[in-house]
Amino acid sequence: MKERKCSWNCHCGGESTGNETPHHRVGSDGEMTLADLPIGVSATIVKVLPEMRGKKKFADVGLVAGTELLMEAHAPFGGLLRVKVLETSMALHRDDAAHIVMKPEGVLK
Amino acid sequence: MKMRYRIVLAGNPNCGKSCIFNALTGTRQHVGNYPGVTVESKSGVFHLNGMEIELIDLPGVYSLSASSPEEVVVFEELTRPGIDLILNVIDSTIPRRSLYLTTQLAELRIPMLLVFNMSDDAARKGLRYDIPKLETYFGAPAVQTVGCRSDGVRSLLEKLAGILENGHGRRSEPMLSFGTDIEDAIAAVSGRIDALRLGKYAHIPSRFFAIKLLEHDSAVMRMAEFDLVHDEVERQIRHLREKHAISAETFLADRRYAMLAGACRDAISMTQERRREISDRIDLVMTNKFLGLPLFLAIMYGTFYFTFICADPLMGYIEEFFGFLSGVVRDVWNPETLPFLRNLVTDGIIAGVGGVIVFLPNILFLFFAIALLEDSGYMARAAFVMDGVMRKFGLQGRSFVPLVLGFGCTVPAIMATRTIESERDRKVTIMVLPLMSCSARLPIYALIIPAFFAPKHQAFMMWVIYLIGVIIALGAARIMKSTLFRGDGEVYLMELPPYRMPTLKSLMLHMWDRGRMYLRKAGTIILFASIVLYFCNTFPEKKQFSKAYDVLIEQCADDAERVAALENERRAEQMEYTISGRVGHALEPLFRPIGFDWKLATASIGALAAKEVFVSQLGILYAEGEVDEESPELREQLVENYTPLQGFCIMLFCLLSIPCLATLAIIRRELNSWKMALAEAGGLFLLAYLTTLIVYQAGMLLQIGTSPIS
Repeated sequence: MKERKCSWNCHCGGESTGNETPHHRVGSDGEMTLADLPIGVSATIVKVLPEMRGKKKFADVGLVAGTELLMEAHAPFGGLLRVKVLETSMALHRDDAAHIVMKPEGVLK
Repeated sequence: MKMRYRIVLAGNPNCGKSCIFNALTGTRQHVGNYPGVTVESKSGVFHLNGMEIELIDLPGVYSLSASSPEEVVVFEELTRPGIDLILNVIDSTIPRRSLYLTTQLAELRIPMLLVFNMSDDAARKGLRYDIPKLETYFGAPAVQTVGCRSDGVRSLLEKLAGILENGHGRRSEPMLSFGTDIEDAIAAVSGRIDALRLGKYAHIPSRFFAIKLLEHDSAVMRMAEFDLVHDEVERQIRHLREKHAISAETFLADRRYAMLAGACRDAISMTQERRREISDRIDLVMTNKFLGLPLFLAIMYGTFYFTFICADPLMGYIEEFFGFLSGVVRDVWNPETLPFLRNLVTDGIIAGVGGVIVFLPNILFLFFAIALLEDSGYMARAAFVMDGVMRKFGLQGRSFVPLVLGFGCTVPAIMATRTIESERDRKVTIMVLPLMSCSARLPIYALIIPAFFAPKHQAFMMWVIYLIGVIIALGAARIMKSTLFRGDGEVYLMELPPYRMPTLKSLMLHMWDRGRMYLRKAGTIILFASIVLYFCNTFPEKKQFSKAYDVLIEQCADDAERVAALENERRAEQMEYTISGRVGHALEPLFRPIGFDWKLATASIGALAAKEVFVSQLGILYAEGEVDEESPELREQLVENYTPLQGFCIMLFCLLSIPCLATLAIIRRELNSWKMALAEAGGLFLLAYLTTLIVYQAGMLLQIGTSPIS
């Protein structure tokens, strides 16, 4: 299965329109990546994109499809995100989080 | 009945495993390192109903894959034969996360006891456990404990005794199934493994390895024994991908979590209340966007104060004690009998041992503070807050604490880098740490700045020197990360454990471990080095002086001032005659381009013992005796002999050059490589030389600070 890339290289499958203000923020069916999840909002993982680095490491702490997450905080400087997954707070990088596709409000299609 | 047992403790990070380990073994533990990695190995022995039990505390991991050095170590330990029982510690407040590891441990088919720890917290959270159901589910007996208090582990000991004495560890098949599609693939691969008849891993079911192979686990994929089944593995993975369209690496993790979700729904009931825990409330303040940084800096200041200011009087006592000791030896030992040995003992060995032990209060205090920050859970928050800033320089959040401690003393600061999980970041942090101007360099600045600079510029000069160190350190880190230590860093994933009140026992144990490690490993090297330096600074002894000092001193025995001057002159002559003096002379041509004469070169060699020795050595060479940095006479001598530009170059060179031998010894110890320690020394010398060369030559060219004061 071949995915069409938009210029954000986010594999969101969206059309490249040339003036992407974070266009993967709201995908075709209300999906977004973990990197864009606002603080205090819960969401469920739809899928973890296959090209993500260290997928297994993230999978081992519960970042797999179907897990519900809560975005707890953003670090004061730079790109760390604090996410509550399976009742544990985990810090991970925004770049890595951009490879995790989420569906807000815990609704899975 | 067997009397000796080998039990391993396995569990997630922060699950209270160490608490149970401490409660069971007390102080009878041995802390070491797994060869080649910075992962700590801990083991201890305890007795139970006449049985001797060796308990091994494995590092905390989330999984048995090979995605971190800790996981590799745990994997290797668990696949080694001879384990009688696994104690799997589970944090009862977060069952789904903790039991993930359990699903993998169960596949090893080693007798296991599930320890549901912190069951009191779980009850408070509204979690109710159906223990018999969980026992059938995982095919292993289970027990509930309440953490660190010794009465909390009583139930564990009773159960353990029962299992070992009566063989109750007999387990039923765990009810863990990945579903028929995946089970078929596992069966196909394990069938092929069985056909190989591997003697080495006969004690582990082939199913365990089959699952690891299907997950493409790097450690198992590398094992040559399984090369012959790789074709079957690839075939099964292809088949699964075509049938289920899931990525090979993670489908088993997916299924495991799905299995657990089912099991937990079944065996653990939860009241729907989701109240915010105290820990989260603390974090609202601690990692707050605005308060986080000031709070962190305040806590750092507290650590700094505690480590260096509170430990300072103790260090004074230790110095006094060793001074007193060598005085006593000098008094009782007749100078006529074996004068050489007498000096070696008093000035070499006693001073050398003193030089090692004098750091001990620093190290003990620092590690008490660090253990407090680490065990309470704050360290992870500090890393979370500082990460963004440090990353700009190629470092990470956890590098910040050691770097700040480097302003106090590089030796404990380097030991503090152990909290950095990424091997590469840790190496870079260690390598740049000597550039943070430590407190032993302060006397050098305190001597030179008032001598050469007007009072209104003095504070500014001090600030400039410290700043140069910081800028070069961060720049060097940046450069090293993009050259020597290049590549995608390890994936960053850090748990922020809930805040916990650390126990005094664990803090003391931690502190004691570090102190012992320092004395044993670094102490011996430092002692050896300071004896060598003592030789260089003492021998060969001069017999023929330019003046007949003894006669001259006798002639003016009443004039104390004159006697002292003569004695100092003689010491200067003696120093020039020693190996250090000769090396200094020999190095003069090399040092002249950076504005150094042989005296400065000789003093730089002395500074290898400890940076502040530079001052006293220079005092001796200028025939002012052993003076400190406040000496007006030595300052006068400096002003007469050097220009302000040279003065600045001295400070610059001392800041950047080879650190003291204690630092090199600890670098060697922490990086476990002589090569790295020597490369560090060579690199820093080159850095210092080139920087000072550029500054001195540029200064000469532009005529800045080249005219002597006076």
